[in-house]
Amino acid sequence: MPSTDAAPLTPLALSEDLPPATVMPIWTPEGPMALWRSVGGTLSLAADRCPHRGMRLSHGFVRGEALSCIYHGWSYDQGGRCLRIPAHPDLEPPASIRVATGSVLEAGGVIWRARADDPSLPPDFPGFVPLRSLSFAVSRDVISRTLGGESAGPGILKGTLAGSAVILLCAEQAEGTSLIHLLAPADATLDQRIAVSRAAETLRRAAETGTTEAAA
Amino acid sequence: MTIGAMRDEWYPVGLRSKVDANGQQTLLMGEPIRLHESEGGEIVVETADGRRLPVVIGHGHVWTSLGQPDKPLFAIPEADQPGRRLVEVGVVRVRCSPLRAVENFLDIAHFPFVHTDILGAEPHTEVERYEVEIREHEDEVWATKVKFYQPQAAKSAAGGITTDYMYRVPAPTCSVLYKTCPARPGEWDVITLFVQPLTEELCDVWPWMALYDDVTPMTDLIHFQQMIFLQDRSILENQIPRRLPLDPGMEIPTRADLTSVAYRRWLKRHNYTYGAQLVAQ
Ligand code: FES
Ligand SMILES: [Fe+2]
Repeated sequence: MPSTDAAPLTPLALSEDLPPATVMPIWTPEGPMALWRSVGGTLSLAADRCPHRGMRLSHGFVRGEALSCIYHGWSYDQGGRCLRIPAHPDLEPPASIRVATGSVLEAGGVIWRARADDPSLPPDFPGFVPLRSLSFAVSRDVISRTLGGESAGPGILKGTLAGSAVILLCAEQAEGTSLIHLLAPADATLDQRIAVSRAAETLRRAAETGTTEAAA
Repeated sequence: MTIGAMRDEWYPVGLRSKVDANGQQTLLMGEPIRLHESEGGEIVVETADGRRLPVVIGHGHVWTSLGQPDKPLFAIPEADQPGRRLVEVGVVRVRCSPLRAVENFLDIAHFPFVHTDILGAEPHTEVERYEVEIREHEDEVWATKVKFYQPQAAKSAAGGITTDYMYRVPAPTCSVLYKTCPARPGEWDVITLFVQPLTEELCDVWPWMALYDDVTPMTDLIHFQQMIFLQDRSILENQIPRRLPLDPGMEIPTRADLTSVAYRRWLKRHNYTYGAQLVAQ
């Protein structure tokens, strides 16, 4: 269920998890999407369904500036237009063959779902850097209660894990689950980062088993 | 959901060689059924409430139906030719519509991408024009004069060759493929896909082959076909929607997809809609 207080921008993934020439599946309230980065570094978001035979494009592959479907190799440009149908190498694909696309923005190591009609820029978190993403089998509210932190805007939680200040960017997922993008202090040492990462897993266990005390 | 016209068709429910007196349980179109071999050596198939279902043995498998088939099981005369090795590949469970599983089997354009360096390889991706028809007398879908470049046609083949194929759909969840036979030019190897519809979105696939090949060990033949089908499964479990859209508009066919187009049209014409998605839904 899309929540009405959802941030105009939704965090999708950490930049580091999507190097050039890769694609990943993304859940959005409007349906599954494929987030991909071209060899040249351009980010794109496409509906996760190839119009040819319905294969998930997030299982596909990136070559150059195009995303190709793994089933029959049809490739699409960043605007969703079909560029090539390998079964018919001499055919110019009709312009009507296209996949729906969405807008994305990237800032501070986080990739956000943007809305074409909304000019807002992604929030910026001075002093923090992305650490990792984690899936939680519970809603944002449960995570918030378990963390015992404070809300710092729609879908953004501030708290403490393993003695370090952290920021959790929460994206709602299917069936009441959540995807959390965890930010840690930029000056944290490697050991501190490892400790924060472990504490996030403890937080997840606590949230999922209904333990209420803060995991910190 | 009613099962519709597909209720009166024959479906594979097990390998004949594997059914014994202890019996085995399975599912056919949502209905639990049990198979066993009687003392007289006859195969009995029953529903959970004891209703005996019709049984026929053919092409290595036990076939049954929840309804009353008015036709015998389709024949594969080539498979009866002497000198062929019959390969019982076994079963692969796939979380997809039984109709999607058959449609994928009829498709060659995916070979370079899904069966890379085995059944196809880039840049040899072109699908040349081939012929498709619905044979009215037999009431079967046929695709002939299908040709495709295959990098490794046989274990002994050093380079790639162009392989000829013919496809046949004699029943809504069954397909027979005839393929150039490396060991005996002029003959066709027979490779089949028999699909057992467990539900509209779950199936057991029983590949079966009748080959002219005296050399390759049986386990290699089985493993090769299982590997190919596991590659197909990674596709079949990730198509959206899970059911096969029978009405045009939702998916975009090209000339390479003419077999699929004919298959869908034939299914629709017969009201073979178990595992299909219709616009009305
Ligand atoms: S389903 Fe994507 S290319 Fe065929
Ligand atoms: Fe295949």
